Amino acid sequence: MSEAGTPRDHKAGNAFAHASEAEFARILDFYQVAWEYEPQVFPILWDLDGNVLESFAPDFFLPDLELLIELTTLQQRLVRKKNRKVRRLRELYPNLRIKLFYARDFRALMLKYGRSALVSELSGTLGQVGPRHYAEPGPEGSSAAGPTAVGRQLDLSTGPADAAIDPRASHDRRSRGARRRAVRRAAAAYAPNSTAT
Amino acid sequence: MKHSQDLNEDVGEILLSEDQIRIKVVELGKRISADYAGRELTLVSVLKGSLPFMADLMRQIDLPLRIDLMEVSSYGGTATESSGLVRILKDLSAPIDDRDVLLVEDIIDTGLTLNYLIRYLRGKNPRSIKVCALLDKPARRLVEIPIDYVGFEIPDAFVVGYGLDFGEVYRNLRFVGVLRPEAYES
Repeated sequence: MSEAGTPRDHKAGNAFAHASEAEFARILDFYQVAWEYEPQVFPILWDLDGNVLESFAPDFFLPDLELLIELTTLQQRLVRKKNRKVRRLRELYPNLRIKLFYARDFRALMLKYGRSALVSELSGTLGQVGPRHYAEPGPEGSSAAGPTAVGRQLDLSTGPADAAIDPRASHDRRSRGARRRAVRRAAAAYAPNSTAT
Repeated sequence: MKHSQDLNEDVGEILLSEDQIRIKVVELGKRISADYAGRELTLVSVLKGSLPFMADLMRQIDLPLRIDLMEVSSYGGTATESSGLVRILKDLSAPIDDRDVLLVEDIIDTGLTLNYLIRYLRGKNPRSIKVCALLDKPARRLVEIPIDYVGFEIPDAFVVGYGLDFGEVYRNLRFVGVLRPEAYES
């Protein structure tokens, strides 16, 4: 897992973890919506010493829409953990916009595009990658192989709050509450200023 | 896909009756007429689903107006197609620069197509672009786009009729109904 607060480095040849993610990326490419794959890791739980215990890397960031998307094709009863992570992310980084895209949403999307026959092979455990699913090169810089070309990164690592979202913050002698507040301030620095066009 | 000879049999529930739709279209027409009073409007319909809505709506707008039609390709083809981009299958037949444009849509769900269309039309320098959708399915929204005129907000169900299709069928139903899962699950 990449360092918290810094963009993940998806170089050419890296792949999606799940077939549904590759399909989702192709849909975004088709409609020319810029995306980045797992560009950022957000710490969501710390121990009393400030060490990061749990992090969350949403699957997609759509820079033009300033929207994070977490895609899950697990059955509804199995998504509690993801729901909890998304809830936690929203608490800690209230200025981030994140949408959890459930199996039923994915199924509806496939139905809409006449690809419902592919739902089972792209969903749940069947869709988990054995041999890696590679996205085909996307338009205008969008690519699973490298999110670097589109939009801007979710930059939470700049400014004085740097340490609060960096793993090195575990060496920070501030109280846990102070560190949390600093994380919130850092997140606040990322202020969505517009919605989609 | 397999559909019944009597298309009504494939509909589990009528979500919006013919009367409900008619009343709403009149209401939308009045609002649009008032909002654009003194101006000339260009209605742009997105084929094929919004055709019945466009035909009914334009007759409820008491303004000098032009109409135009667009069609864009939809995602969902083979692996080759899916590596491609959305394409304009039918472009506007007249310029819209410095005109007030109202994009008429049957339904907005993900917002992906609408997002693309608005960006495309903005490139043609209209004076303004607004959106009128008969149906809004916000539960499916990915791209948040302000919809200026909404007929009905509908629940998260697969709907057909009044222009909306499944596999190019059901568009001619006079109401909007929820398709039975048996009709699309094979």
